[in-house]
Amino acid sequence: MAKIADPIEFELFKNAIFAIADEMAVTICRTTYSGVLRDNMDFSTALADENGKIVAQGLTLPGHLGSIPAALAVVVERFAGDINPGDMFILNDPFDGGMHLPDIFIFQPLFVGERRIGFAATISHHSDVGGRVPGSNASDSTEIYQEGLRIPPLKLFDRGKRNETMWSLIEKNVRIPIQVLGDLRAQLAACHIAETQFAELLARYGVDKVAVYMQEVIDYAERLTRAAVSELPDGEWSFEDWIDDDGIDLGKPIRLFVTITKSGDSMTVDWTGSAPQVKGAINSTLSFTVAHSVGAIRCVLPLNIPSNEGVFRVIKVIAPHASITNMVLPAACAARGLTGFRMGDCMFGALAMMLPDRVCAASDGGNTGVSIGGYDDDRKPYIYVDFSCGTHGGRPWADGLQGNSNMFANMASQSVEVIETEQPMQILSYEFVPDRAGPGEFRGGAPFRRDYRFLEREAVLQVRSDRREFRPYGLYGGYPGKPSANSLNPETENRSLESKITMNIGYDTVFRHELAGGGGWGDPLARDVNKVLTDVRNELVSPAAAFADYGVVVDTARWTVDMAATEAQRAALRRRRPAVPAKVMWQEPPLVDAAEG
Amino acid sequence: MANFRVGADIGGTFTDLVLLGEDGTLYTKKVSSTVGEYEVAIADGLSSIFEAAGLTADQIDEVLHGTTVASNAILEHKGARTGLITTKGFRDVLEIRTLRMPRLYDLHWEKPPPLVERYLRLDVNERINHRGEIETALDLDEVERVVKRLLAEQVETIAVCLINSYANDEHERAIKAVIERLAPDLLHCISADVLPEISEYQRTSTTVINAYVMPIVSHYLQQLSARLKAAEINAPLLLMQSNGGLINAGVAERKPANIIESGPAGGVVGAQALARKLDLPDVITFDMGGTTAKASLVENGEFTRSLDYQVGGGIMIGSRLTSGAGYHLKVPAIDLAEVGAGGGSVVWIDAGGSMQIGPQSAGAVPGPVCYGQGGVDPTVTDANVILGYLNPKFLVGGELELQAKKSHEVFQESIAGPLDLELAHAAYGAHQIVISNMIRAIRAISSERGRDPRDYALFAFGGNGPLFAAGMAKALNMRRIVVPPFPGLFSSFGLLYADVEHHYSRSMMQVLRDAEPGALNEIWGKLEQEARAQLAADGFRPEQVEIRRTANMHYKGQIFELTVPAPDGDFNPEKVALLEERFGQEHERTYGHRAGPEEPVMLVNAQLIGRAIPDHPPVPDRLKGMDVRAAAENSLRQAYFGPDLGWLEAAVLGRADLAEGRVGPLIIEEYDATCLVPPGAKARQDDFGNIVIELP
Repeated sequence: MAKIADPIEFELFKNAIFAIADEMAVTICRTTYSGVLRDNMDFSTALADENGKIVAQGLTLPGHLGSIPAALAVVVERFAGDINPGDMFILNDPFDGGMHLPDIFIFQPLFVGERRIGFAATISHHSDVGGRVPGSNASDSTEIYQEGLRIPPLKLFDRGKRNETMWSLIEKNVRIPIQVLGDLRAQLAACHIAETQFAELLARYGVDKVAVYMQEVIDYAERLTRAAVSELPDGEWSFEDWIDDDGIDLGKPIRLFVTITKSGDSMTVDWTGSAPQVKGAINSTLSFTVAHSVGAIRCVLPLNIPSNEGVFRVIKVIAPHASITNMVLPAACAARGLTGFRMGDCMFGALAMMLPDRVCAASDGGNTGVSIGGYDDDRKPYIYVDFSCGTHGGRPWADGLQGNSNMFANMASQSVEVIETEQPMQILSYEFVPDRAGPGEFRGGAPFRRDYRFLEREAVLQVRSDRREFRPYGLYGGYPGKPSANSLNPETENRSLESKITMNIGYDTVFRHELAGGGGWGDPLARDVNKVLTDVRNELVSPAAAFADYGVVVDTARWTVDMAATEAQRAALRRRRPAVPAKVMWQEPPLVDAAEG
Repeated sequence: MANFRVGADIGGTFTDLVLLGEDGTLYTKKVSSTVGEYEVAIADGLSSIFEAAGLTADQIDEVLHGTTVASNAILEHKGARTGLITTKGFRDVLEIRTLRMPRLYDLHWEKPPPLVERYLRLDVNERINHRGEIETALDLDEVERVVKRLLAEQVETIAVCLINSYANDEHERAIKAVIERLAPDLLHCISADVLPEISEYQRTSTTVINAYVMPIVSHYLQQLSARLKAAEINAPLLLMQSNGGLINAGVAERKPANIIESGPAGGVVGAQALARKLDLPDVITFDMGGTTAKASLVENGEFTRSLDYQVGGGIMIGSRLTSGAGYHLKVPAIDLAEVGAGGGSVVWIDAGGSMQIGPQSAGAVPGPVCYGQGGVDPTVTDANVILGYLNPKFLVGGELELQAKKSHEVFQESIAGPLDLELAHAAYGAHQIVISNMIRAIRAISSERGRDPRDYALFAFGGNGPLFAAGMAKALNMRRIVVPPFPGLFSSFGLLYADVEHHYSRSMMQVLRDAEPGALNEIWGKLEQEARAQLAADGFRPEQVEIRRTANMHYKGQIFELTVPAPDGDFNPEKVALLEERFGQEHERTYGHRAGPEEPVMLVNAQLIGRAIPDHPPVPDRLKGMDVRAAAENSLRQAYFGPDLGWLEAAVLGRADLAEGRVGPLIIEEYDATCLVPPGAKARQDDFGNIVIELP
């Protein structure tokens, strides 16, 4: 075990610096204006060293892991020699340090006199940054130029002086400036908190010690990560999964392919073999790919490892140039969240082969984005942006979570009643759908549906969903979850829609989205019959599906299991089906049966 | 013969009883809790005090009670079999919750199981819109079928929560009428009575919790009343609510959601009252026991309340953002931040070579190594023994012999050795790291809300509070510490300071500046009527009633509300503007900025508190019979105060020895706690029996 010079003072310092990063996050959360930020927690905070290496990340979105160093690196390089006390930097350009346009980064350099000692860093997903479509998250843009305001690394404040040009330019280019400027203020407030508290840290420890300890906190995380990685088996594992399509080239599946190599105390994640970048807006930056690669690995490492540069030293991520995992101009990327979630699923697939008893089957594929926006009769704009996700895959020890945020999004739902007071909208249904979860010894999470009834004259409906053709995979004998579904006016015309939609809707239109069901883990015929009974009683599994998928015969009058009939049915099912594949079985079947639609 | 009031606080291990006479005479007793029949310990404990002190039951004026009965029922999933009736399409609101997970990267995390299983959550086809207009009328035949189905499932209680019922409760009341008709004796509640506020998940969850604990609380309170009667104590029984006010047992039976966090409230109420007496308007309370430490803020003589919290949410620090761990309860509660740090917290070294404390705890059994009851992991208490802060021979009070040598051995072997540190330095480090963990609780209620802890005095209690208070204060640059009498029994003692209080609220969800003053008058007027009627029913005269209005507000588009006092009397446009200005000021104070005047402010909830002011101050200034003895034998003990000061001789004293004021290092040993006064700090006992410490 490595020795820290003064382990006690170090621990005190570490507590203090992570407390600052957390407090920044609390500040953003509490002062923010937009629903996306406040409920979906789509923001991150961090403290970095003077070179922009992260020392302490606050409680944040896993999808942002690793994005701050990439952005800070650009600022540090571009403004070398011109970073001064009182400066505040802003950027959102994905080709210049950013991730996608709605994610605006704000950085404040922290000084002692003239010596730069660190950076306070924040990212927030803003509710609109202009572009073609309200919410700036269209999945059908084909070039970055359609997606909104591109902000290269610039000074929002220069030695304390407000850059009025920048502020008014932002104000004129976004649909709801009150929200965007309010949320920018929340980011500034978080940096302000960091500055004040960092000053206290400097007063307590002195600048030199602070500088040393910041590096030590990074080294410490590296040591913890290496120690944990050393205990994993050495080897190489690949996994493949497909995104249905990019919404432009309909029906053309997009390949994700990852290879994890682990040797000694380091790991490499290589996305070579993944599809070239696509026309639709689901391309990701390298930083975003790094975030999901490292985030997935963190799920098999101990929880006490702090999030900082030290972790990234251990895990190397390679993504091929001009691919969907590492895009170049003029790729559109507003809806790249989808690719991120699916990279997470793909990583879990590879990790499941490496560590069969530690990883879950596929989730619903991450959140579906629904935005409904337009102008009311007084030409006042409104935007309703809703991300929902909810099912995890079955785990080697338990069923998949249901009605729960994706691991890579940790978002919260918005209150139906609040939506109805703020938006020209009603939510008519928000509940689990039976028989959609992937069967398994530990079944996938049950998906929910959401019915949106629109109450203005006219709006643009935008939907970004997936897992329609390529269903959430099951593992080790577990079956895939049922696909996601979109439909219009389900109670009347019940028109089926594509997975990615941009369309006009009018008054009283009802749009229904059903998430995909989580993949199952293990042989469903090995599932505890009492669990099946409970699912049937709770109307998450129908008696017919209990019989067909699990071989369990439930007496619904007395709520008991007919054990004899169950044994017979299970034996019959075992005889009829091919041997349970020992390995990952996502490929079976990858495509939705036409009959199942 | 003097008359007495009783404070009774039940914990999982001990039941603390305090009897206070109107002349200041005081009796205290700590007895083992009688798990399963908690009322037995209270009744028996009181009887034994009566016997020892020569009192009679008819001398008792009232019994004030803090209890964890309701929260335990939730934490242990031992509440009633509950049915839920909701709007078609929203059967799973209770289970879907807010989607959020409390922890990142943790594939092992499990969602708390819903308190009502899905097959007992039934929906009815009805719909009311957000303006309160009925879009789909309720079908009473369907309601009847649904209620009968739940009755056939033998539910013990039913909760009803329909979408948008905060705007119109007609359908919920119609369902209630059906339940009362079909099952006149069945306990039940509707969300319009429990929490008439916007947000379906929070309202559903709160209503369900209320229904879920109703039968248990009701049974317990009836048993307790019967026990007290059997012991010939006929005084009224009052319950501490989570919000710090008392309610009579009858009201608590109907609204048990209000007494879930009854347990820790007493200490904060007591701290607030003592702080007022001491002319210390701004105080941070710090309550540290064997497993957890809790902090709260008293400002301008008032404690702060949070609007909602999670029962069983575990340790909140670090997870405030990613809530979702427990059961959501939206009733006002004293705002407590909690960390899992106490005397029993285990000290260990992680794979990165850093010393860590907790979250594992040795608890009361096996307890710290020095207890000699089989504990093998070094704990915070062991560190305090090594440092000389705790008496090396026995726990104060003398009931448990300590084995200091074991603390030394284990700490040397598993902490000091591997870290290559001197034993004392390692133990001192553990003491400091616990402090830095606990500071996060204090930050959560102070600096994270724009309050600077340096402006506050630290009010320390709980078995370990007085031992760590000085270190906490120093780390936060706080200057003054107050340690009340009976720091270890203070949650019980604090009950004696509480007033009867009822809280009411109503969702408004409108832009404040567009609000009709007449409509505001009507809403607050109605709440006031409710409060006055309840307090009259409680037996108070109109002139004893104090009414306070508050408002929850946020800028349009925000979600976290701030609470500010609302103007009294009839609203007019000036008062509406005043309310908006108060909100702007509070926003600036809390977050450091406020929006421009053009930005609309939403009035989310109108709230009102009706409080009964007693005719006499509830607790006399002078107490008799307190444990303010001088130490049996004044002695000196070596104690370690860090690498700079090293080992110093500290005087070991009793509280009474501080009458003249002394300068640290001092160790004040009492029956229920040990108080540490570091070198250079001045300590004295004030007129009310508190130890007041001024740091240099």
